Amino acid sequence: MAIGGLLVTLAGFLIAALSVGIASATSVRLIIVLVGIVVSLGGIIGLINPAYQKNALWKR
Amino acid sequence: MKKISLALAITCLVGVFTVARAQTPAQPPPADAAAATAGQAPPAASSIDDQLKALSGPSAEERAKGDPAGTATGTVNDIPVADAKKGLTLGDVVSLVGQHQIAINFTWTLLTGFLVMFMQAGFAIVETGLARAKNANHTMMMNFMVYGVGMAAYWLIGFAIQEGGVGAVANLGGTAPLSSEYSISLFGKSWGLFGQNGIMLGGTSYDVGVMVMFLFQMVFMDTALTIVTGTAAERWRYSSFIISSFFMGAFTYPLFANWAWGGGWLATLGSNFGLGHGYADFAGSGVVHSIGGVTALAMAIIIGPRIGKFDRNGKPNTIPGHDITLVLLGCFILAFGWFGFNPGSTLGASANGNLRISSVAVNTMLAGMSASFSGMYYMWIRYGKPDASMTGNAFLAGLVAITAPSGFVNPLASVIIGLVAGVLVCLSCEFVERVMKLDDVVGAISVHGANGLWGVIAVGLFADGKSNFGGAWNGVPGSVTGLFYGDAGQLVAQLIGVATLVGFVFTFSFVLNMVLEAVWGHRVTAKVELEGLDIPEMGALGYPEFVLKPEPAAMKAAG
Repeated sequence: MAIGGLLVTLAGFLIAALSVGIASATSVRLIIVLVGIVVSLGGIIGLINPAYQKNALWKR
Repeated sequence: MKKISLALAITCLVGVFTVARAQTPAQPPPADAAAATAGQAPPAASSIDDQLKALSGPSAEERAKGDPAGTATGTVNDIPVADAKKGLTLGDVVSLVGQHQIAINFTWTLLTGFLVMFMQAGFAIVETGLARAKNANHTMMMNFMVYGVGMAAYWLIGFAIQEGGVGAVANLGGTAPLSSEYSISLFGKSWGLFGQNGIMLGGTSYDVGVMVMFLFQMVFMDTALTIVTGTAAERWRYSSFIISSFFMGAFTYPLFANWAWGGGWLATLGSNFGLGHGYADFAGSGVVHSIGGVTALAMAIIIGPRIGKFDRNGKPNTIPGHDITLVLLGCFILAFGWFGFNPGSTLGASANGNLRISSVAVNTMLAGMSASFSGMYYMWIRYGKPDASMTGNAFLAGLVAITAPSGFVNPLASVIIGLVAGVLVCLSCEFVERVMKLDDVVGAISVHGANGLWGVIAVGLFADGKSNFGGAWNGVPGSVTGLFYGDAGQLVAQLIGVATLVGFVFTFSFVLNMVLEAVWGHRVTAKVELEGLDIPEMGALGYPEFVLKPEPAAMKAAG
């Protein structure tokens, strides 16, 4: 799950960075970039961190 | 005899008259004569040179008498002459003006760089104060040696990656050797990825302007590295800290810094794709603080919490630091150093709009002030007491948040940015600890990560278009302007920077440290952690004459 989370996080960056080629209108680029940020944050908070929290020290 | 005497007298009179005319400064012509000469060609250089040659400063005899008022020191006699036979010329004077401009900028950049270097001391005592006494030596040593480790990595390769293709920096006289950037072509535009010149400051990069650039950029890089030591303190193996910091200084930081400051693709979002002036980060909310913050986040996830930080239900326990006086003193040292961090980022104090350093300095002060108030009152209202450590962190959060916008916003915006930062750091600390269940000893993820990103976004909102740093920024004419002043494209450029920090830099840092965890290991053993890292890791206590408080039984049981 951690590796998957890393890939999702990276994908969010790529979505945002490539927005400049996907669209030309500023408002559309803004939406695409925000989607990218949310995807990246989702990868970190929703996938990577929970994967490491499964074996957290305080649970042992 | 009379004829000879008369001839001699006439000759002497002619000679005296000629010399008198040469020494008398040229008087401005009468007004009607001036009108008559208007539109005519300026006087020939040779006549200007003649006038310059006629100028003279105090004689040697006059200087030998001493100069208590300072009025005879620093005169035309001090202007270096290129050709002694020709004497003082207009070219000599003009060359000196140019050198003075660059010298002012060199001096400014170097002195402000020295202030930023001193921030290492501030970080050291903030972190040590927030850690327990049994880890004081270890925490202090991490902050002490991160300076050397980071500098070594940066000198070896990091500077070349970051600045190798930055091109001419006018304020510093050109830095022409830094002109090799590796780029790819995408969507018909050039995307700069990393520099290729300046390894070990050798070859053509052995240049006085490049040296100034290296020193200034190096101390910024080290600030990013030291942020991570605060989050991972009290359980990070010293050897792992050295390896991790080296790679961060060699690759992680320089890569993003090239994209933002070294002529890379983030900076050219404006010139290539019409997004404002491209990613604009005046002094490094994103480049320095966010890189440190997201790397700290990666480390916190990988290394895990301290023993006893969370109980069996995941409820966080407070582990107080051992010296709050060190913490607040450290905050003041950091604030002092920030007068180098932000104003110094003009890379000069002469020409090219650089007198805006006054505005940058005041913006910095105001944001720190307003953040300390909003953070203190948030804690006071929510928890009943004005918490000292969170007030200090709020102060720092405001300084972090204003770092990117400091060159582009007005004082009112600075206060607002700080007010938001002070509350944001408190909310972020609660989220990181209670929701993500991460242990951040000093709150670096929230101070530097969350507020670094806020600072990046704030540029896209509050930049007022009134700054003028040489008529352009990132190659786009005009002044950086945010959404509230009419340019939504700038906000998009800033958000792409945010996405890069969160999506790429975090991933890059995480992978580096995940590999290091697999091959070497980050964390000390439970026994070492409970005993304190000072003796097992460093061989000596930070406070050998103090009797350390024994660990609570519950904490020992958890280990």
